[in-house]
Amino acid sequence: MKILLIEDEPELRKSIKQYLHQEGYVVESAADFVKASEKAGVYDYDCILVDITLPKGSGLDIIKQLKENGSKAGIIIISAKNSSSDKIKGLDLGADDYLAKPFDLAELNSRIKALIRRRNFDGNKSIVVNEITIIPEQRQVNVNNELVTLTAKEYDLLLFFISNKNRVVSKNTIAEHLWGDDSDQMDSHDFIYVHLRNLRKKLMDKGCADYVQTIYGIGYNFKVNG
Amino acid sequence: MKLISKTLIYYLLVSLPLLIIAGLLSYFLINSELKDGTDETLMNEKINAERLIQSLKEPKSIYLSSDSLSNIKLISGAELNDGFIDTLIYNREESENVGARMLRSYYTVNGNTYQITLLKTTMEEEELLEGILATFAIIVGFLIVSFAIVNWLLSKTLWKPFYSTLSELNKYEIQNHEQHHFNEVNTLEFNQLNIALNKMMDKIYSDYQEQKEFTENASHEMQTPLAVIKANLSLLMQSDNLKEDEMNRLQTIENTIKKLASLNKALILLSKIENNQFKESESISIKQFTSKIADNYIDLFQSKNIGLELNLSEDVIVKMNPTLAEILLTNLIQNAIRHNSENGKIIIELKQNQLTISNSGKPLTIPKDHLFIRFKKNDASKDSLGLGLSIVNGIAKTYGFKINYDYSSSLHHFQVNFN
Repeated sequence: MKILLIEDEPELRKSIKQYLHQEGYVVESAADFVKASEKAGVYDYDCILVDITLPKGSGLDIIKQLKENGSKAGIIIISAKNSSSDKIKGLDLGADDYLAKPFDLAELNSRIKALIRRRNFDGNKSIVVNEITIIPEQRQVNVNNELVTLTAKEYDLLLFFISNKNRVVSKNTIAEHLWGDDSDQMDSHDFIYVHLRNLRKKLMDKGCADYVQTIYGIGYNFKVNG
Repeated sequence: MKLISKTLIYYLLVSLPLLIIAGLLSYFLINSELKDGTDETLMNEKINAERLIQSLKEPKSIYLSSDSLSNIKLISGAELNDGFIDTLIYNREESENVGARMLRSYYTVNGNTYQITLLKTTMEEEELLEGILATFAIIVGFLIVSFAIVNWLLSKTLWKPFYSTLSELNKYEIQNHEQHHFNEVNTLEFNQLNIALNKMMDKIYSDYQEQKEFTENASHEMQTPLAVIKANLSLLMQSDNLKEDEMNRLQTIENTIKKLASLNKALILLSKIENNQFKESESISIKQFTSKIADNYIDLFQSKNIGLELNLSEDVIVKMNPTLAEILLTNLIQNAIRHNSENGKIIIELKQNQLTISNSGKPLTIPKDHLFIRFKKNDASKDSLGLGLSIVNGIAKTYGFKINYDYSSSLHHFQVNFN
């Protein structure tokens, strides 16, 4: 799985690269418009992460270029400008998703996974983690081939965990994923705890192992061995 | 006090002493002229009296007036010097003493000496004074009236450009800077005033614009460093050998960054609203939006044990930007949740073009006009940014909605009037 990361801030580039590398992706990066345009023109990528404000040009033009060349890559815009007009412009040009800075790496990761799933797994529509099978199109979860009925939040929580399995995800990151902008409104940590407790119970009732580890002080780790 | 009244008073203050001096002067002048006139008359009468004496066939005393005060008296003795005397005589009709001028003169014919006494009542000083005072009072009256008329005319004509500048200034709103202009007028001073005002307003406006852009740019510039910190923090969290204490620190850092990021985001939003960057608008059903947003918070209402009462009887259709409509309603509802009391309630009522969101809670600890000011928080301990209601206020201002706050029967009421 090959990803092109177009981002001019070196530290951010380094961190994203490292995180995605740990996920098993091959990550190439470009720091400015010219290099990005070059790479995007020459190689094929599964997913391209593009910052809009770049030295020597606009990320939007790279999206245009990719689409003109008939690229099949999924495109996620990562921008410091959380403006709806940029978002609409980008999505109109053919970008698949838009993520405003500052974002969580876990969130970025789950967006990439969702995008790749939508793009590539047309034949294979389910995610399998040991005894858990998720069919995202139907928002359906089976454990040991038995249907588990989850609420929308519980489902999102499980999918987020599985997208970031074997990773420590903080409660804040989870809250932001589940409630978006409203997450600062919540006594979110208690709230996540309630959803997580219900999710765990429902999964374990069907004979699922307890994968969720509590990382004291920070959050959780959905630990799957092997 | 109006400028006209002030000038009127100054005119009067200056003219009154002048009038008093003029009055005194004329009093003395008239008085002495009158005296001179009387004396002249008396002298003429004296000559007549002397002719009369000459024509006498035998020496005798004669009365010259019916009251016998003017007379010619035959005296035995030497002739004395002539002289005018001011005296008082008793007037029977008016039963008072009146002023009189008396000429006493001596005339000797054929060894007989006559004393001629001629009396003429003069105008009383009191009467003279009264006359002069009355005249001057009338003059002052005319002056006031004419000053007033002249001033009124001046203010209607000469001061007209000034008043129109003033009313333009009163209407001035920095958001609508382009619509305001102080026009050229043909009075030099007022024209200078208008030119200066135009210059000043342009400067204020460009500073204001710059300030606004600065806020937005600064906030944008902060997003990337924040993203760097956040990303590195995520990576750091993946370390296997973190101690409990270190994890707690990471958590604290993460919470702080989250708050910083929200703050930044809210500031950007606020400056975008103030910069009118949400231009597109469509017809919004407040009823639909409100119930949709309230629905989103069902989880939260339940977890906080807040009772929700939705009373959306009369829908209001408003032409506005959908994003802003959502933010407006979300912020008000969030505010009602955040500042609610334990097991409290929220009542949302929509009728007569007015949305009222009420929530239980303790009375405000800050003045209620501080509610909508940035970073003014009622309860510092609460985990709020202090920008939510400023954003509400900014949106309301953009569309001319009226926001009211009120506290009664242990409920905070926020009212949005969409008229």
